[in-house]
Amino acid sequence: MQERKWYAFGTREVVFAALGAALYGVLSFATNMLALPAAGNVAFRPAVCIPMFFGIAFGPWVGFISGFLGNIIGDALSGWGFWFWWDLGNGIMGLIPGFAGLLIRDFRSTRSLTIADVFSALGAIVGMLLASLSEIWVSGVDLRTALVGYFLPAGLTNVINGIILVPILMVAYSAITARTGR
Amino acid sequence: MLVSWRYRERNTLIQKLDPRARWIFMLAVLFSVIQFWDLRFLLFFFALTLAYYLLCRLTWQETRRIWTFVLILVVAIIGLNTVLTGRGGPTEVLHGRAHVLWEARWTIPGVSWEINPTITVEKVVFAVAQMVRMLTVAILFIPVAYTFNPNHYGITFRRLGLPDKVAFSIDLAFRFVPTLARDFSITLDAQRARGYEVEKLTGGPIAQIRKLAPLIVPVTISAIVGAEDIINAMDLRCFGLRPRTWIHELRYTPRDYALIAFSVLLLIVSTLVRVLWGIGGFWVPDWALRWFGF
Repeated sequence: MQERKWYAFGTREVVFAALGAALYGVLSFATNMLALPAAGNVAFRPAVCIPMFFGIAFGPWVGFISGFLGNIIGDALSGWGFWFWWDLGNGIMGLIPGFAGLLIRDFRSTRSLTIADVFSALGAIVGMLLASLSEIWVSGVDLRTALVGYFLPAGLTNVINGIILVPILMVAYSAITARTGR
Repeated sequence: MLVSWRYRERNTLIQKLDPRARWIFMLAVLFSVIQFWDLRFLLFFFALTLAYYLLCRLTWQETRRIWTFVLILVVAIIGLNTVLTGRGGPTEVLHGRAHVLWEARWTIPGVSWEINPTITVEKVVFAVAQMVRMLTVAILFIPVAYTFNPNHYGITFRRLGLPDKVAFSIDLAFRFVPTLARDFSITLDAQRARGYEVEKLTGGPIAQIRKLAPLIVPVTISAIVGAEDIINAMDLRCFGLRPRTWIHELRYTPRDYALIAFSVLLLIVSTLVRVLWGIGGFWVPDWALRWFGF
């Protein structure tokens, strides 16, 4: 794996941020169409692994843009409108796992996969907590409604999706890094 | 899988406005409306955003799905919840018992817990205010996907002050969407040909998520491999060494300046009214009390 500064935002980051956002948007839209299993009124969104993985593999800014812009694209494709604080929450869900990249050298070792899972879960918790708490300010709900009605279902499903799918993507990615030589 | 942007040309006044002016207007209204709880102010903002929405000339056919979602959220979740519990409301809503419309006292058998739901005039007025507030924000942002040209997102955010590279990322992301949607569709078909049935995933939620990997991993990894070629091509063209130029150019017209001036004024006046003069907090109209017989 090539050494890089975590705050770097060059050509590589520009392209991967765009790719991550488009992938997150398309896969969110696609899994909406496939009517995946749902808990209560919150549908599972397996695509949340995309901003988390892009953050880990290509840096925090790439993760942030993938989550933030990808959520906007997914909502735009599905016709859900524009929900700024949820977009920001999704961005944070990609930003925080991006810092795991500083501790990860090998995408196959158990230690690296564990670190990635911890940061992905943390990203989902912080991101969804911010988005849920913003509803107090935007929609006027109280703290309990924000936590039980918004944060718990959204945060929990995203944590589960992240910790299952991010390691699978990391192992698959490690197989192609040697081939591309980047 | 057919992926199409909701956007189309409509020859409306709204679409003739500069997208930057429209974003400034939307953000100014958003940050103004969330400062108020007084129904009179909220109705003003509601009327303003409704006029904006109607000028976008969206059809019911296009927006039916989002309206169903918004109305369920606003009426069932926000409205009923607020009427019954007063959640999110100020003290007079949560604890005020001056104008009780209905109350009950139930005991849960076995544990002897008492539930005392109370509906007051204050809770009803607060619920209406909250629904108007929520609808105002929804109406303001629903037209985004339908009326902003996806080809203009990059230049819009660049000219609004975002760095070149971030703006180019936005532009590129919108261009990637149709290609990735096609790749996803091909992968889905290929996996189905191998007997993969995404509609009939079995097992618990965790097992079902794991079974989505054959769909997500090939699309993601092949997109990453393909992106390396794009990076090489951009590097060969010295991307990022100088400020870039854009194919589309945006130009403000007098009506854009008027909209920006109105937006800035609206935000300043709203903030002054609310913060300096303390007007716009929760308000129970006299006619509401009379209407309920108090």
